[in-house]
Amino acid sequence: MAVSRLSRLAARARVPVFPALGMHGEPALHRLALTAGIELVDSPRHASLLLVAGGVPPDRHAALRRVHDQLPAPFATLWYRSEPLIELAGATRVDELDALPEALTTLHRELMQGQRGSSPRLLPDEPPNPWEGLGDDGHGGEGMMGGVPYGRPMVMNMTDDLRDGLTLDSLTVTLGPFLPMLPPGLSAEVTLQGDLVYAWTTQDAPYPTALGSVFFRALQEPVPIAELERARARHHLKRLHVALRLAGLERLALQALRLAFEPRVEQERVTKLRRRLGRSGFFRLTTTGQGRLEQGQARRVGGVAARAAGLEEDLRGRDAAYRRLGFTPILQDGGDTGARWRQTLAEIDQSLQLAHQAEREGAHTEVIGSVETPCGPWGEHRSEDASRLLDELLPGLEWDEALSTLASLDLAAVSEWPQETLQGSTEASGNGAESCEERRA
Amino acid sequence: MELLTLFFIVLIAAGLGLLVQWLPRRHQPMPPYSQRAPFLGGGLPETHAWSRYHVRYYPMTLLLIAFEMEMMFMYPWAVVFVEQGMKAVMEMGMFLAILSVGIVYGWREGVFKWQ
Repeated sequence: MAVSRLSRLAARARVPVFPALGMHGEPALHRLALTAGIELVDSPRHASLLLVAGGVPPDRHAALRRVHDQLPAPFATLWYRSEPLIELAGATRVDELDALPEALTTLHRELMQGQRGSSPRLLPDEPPNPWEGLGDDGHGGEGMMGGVPYGRPMVMNMTDDLRDGLTLDSLTVTLGPFLPMLPPGLSAEVTLQGDLVYAWTTQDAPYPTALGSVFFRALQEPVPIAELERARARHHLKRLHVALRLAGLERLALQALRLAFEPRVEQERVTKLRRRLGRSGFFRLTTTGQGRLEQGQARRVGGVAARAAGLEEDLRGRDAAYRRLGFTPILQDGGDTGARWRQTLAEIDQSLQLAHQAEREGAHTEVIGSVETPCGPWGEHRSEDASRLLDELLPGLEWDEALSTLASLDLAAVSEWPQETLQGSTEASGNGAESCEERRA
Repeated sequence: MELLTLFFIVLIAAGLGLLVQWLPRRHQPMPPYSQRAPFLGGGLPETHAWSRYHVRYYPMTLLLIAFEMEMMFMYPWAVVFVEQGMKAVMEMGMFLAILSVGIVYGWREGVFKWQ
C-alpha cells in the first residue's frame, strides 16, 4: 500500500533525464531545459531516463553502452532522432521535437507505476579487470606499492608538478564523449595532478555545429542583414547558456536560453542580462587571465576568439551594406577567457543593434560567396575543427579554469548542412544528412 | 549495574541503527559492476583513484599547532610554575623542544615563505 503510494508520488515528480548528446542533439536539450516538469541531471546516477538525442557514430557506441548501464534500475531510454542500439531495438524513438517532453513524461510515469520494465543491462556483470581470488590476500594485487588491487594498476608515475613543486600522484582518465561539461562528442585523455590538468590529449573531436540556414543562403544570395544578425546573436546566447550552466548559474543560464528563443530579442533585455552577469560574479570567475590564446592560435579558431585577441578579422567589414550601417569590428586585447566573454556579449549587443537598424532600412548583404558565421569566417572553406588546440592550451590550468576556458571557445567544425535541414523533415533523420555526417565522424 | 545499563543502551542503539539500514536494502540486489564504475561520460579510468594526494594546507596546520597550541598550554603552565618551580621549567623546555622539531620541519618545507 505504502509502496504503491510512493510509486504514484514518484510518477508525479519531475522527470530526471540524463541527456547523452549525439550529433545535432542540442535542440532537444534546449527544449527540455525550458520545459517545466523535466529536470536535466548531470550524472546518470541521478536519472531515471536516458535520452539519446541525435545520431551517435558507431565508434561511440561502446561509450554509450557504459553510460546506459550506469543508470540505477528501474530506468528507461528514449531515442530522439537516433537509431537505438541493436540490443535495445524495441526502445521508444521520437522524431518530433514537440512530442519529446510528453514522451518523456509518459515513459517516466509508466516506469514508476510498474507498467513498464527497466531497460536491460548491456554489459556483463563482471569487474572491469579480473581480481577476485588473485594475489596474496585475494584482493587481486601484490600490495599497495606497484600492485594491482582490484585488477586496476595503482598510480606510480610521479611526474613533476607544474604549479608549485608539491608533486602528487597523477590520475589518467578518459573523459567523454557524453560528459555534459564537455562539448558534445568531445573525448580526451586527461592526466590530473589533484585539481591541476597535467596533460590533455584530444581523442575525438566534438560533433560539427549546425548553423542556421540564413548563413548558407548568404553564401549564394543577398539575405536580410536583420535575419543574419539575429541568428548570430541567438548562437552566442546559446553558448552563453552552456557556460552559465557550467558556472552553476542555472537561473541566468535559463534566462540566456529564453532570450535565444525569442522571435525578436530586445536589446534592453540583453543589457539587463549583462548587468545580472556582472552582479553574479560570472566575469570575476573568468578574469583570472587564463586560457590566453597566442595570435596564431586565435587565428586558427577565428571568429569571437580571434577578435578577443585583438585580430581585426571579420568578413562583415568587406560588405558595403554593413559599412553603410556603420559597422566596425569590436576588438579586445586580452585574448583570455574573460576577454572572449566580454567580446561575445559585445557582439550580441552589436548584432541586435545592426539587426534593428537593418530592419528599418531594409538592408541586405551584398557580398556573395563568403559570410562571417558566429564560428568564424566562411569563405572558400568552412570553419574546421580546432579542438587539438586544447592539448596545448589546457595543461597547467586548474580544473575549473580549464573548463571555463573550454566553454569560452567555439572549437567544433561547422556542419555542411543547415540546422533547419537537420531538424526539419522526419525522413531526413537517420538516413539523410545526419547519417552522412555520422559516417564521416 | 550502571555499566550493564550502558551496555544495553549501546546494544539497542546499534541494533536499531543496523535495522534501519538493513530494512530498505533487504530486497535490493547489489548494483552490477557496470553501474558501479565511475562516471566519466563514457570514458574509462586507467588507474586506481587511490592516489597520494598532497594536503596543501598541511604545513600551515602544523604551524598553527606549533605556535597557537603551545601558547594555550603556557597559560595553565604559568599557574603551575609558581607551585612547581624548576620542575615545571624543565617540563616546558621539553615540550617546546618537541614542538620546535615541527617548526624546523615546517621551515624546511618553506612554510615561512610568503607566496
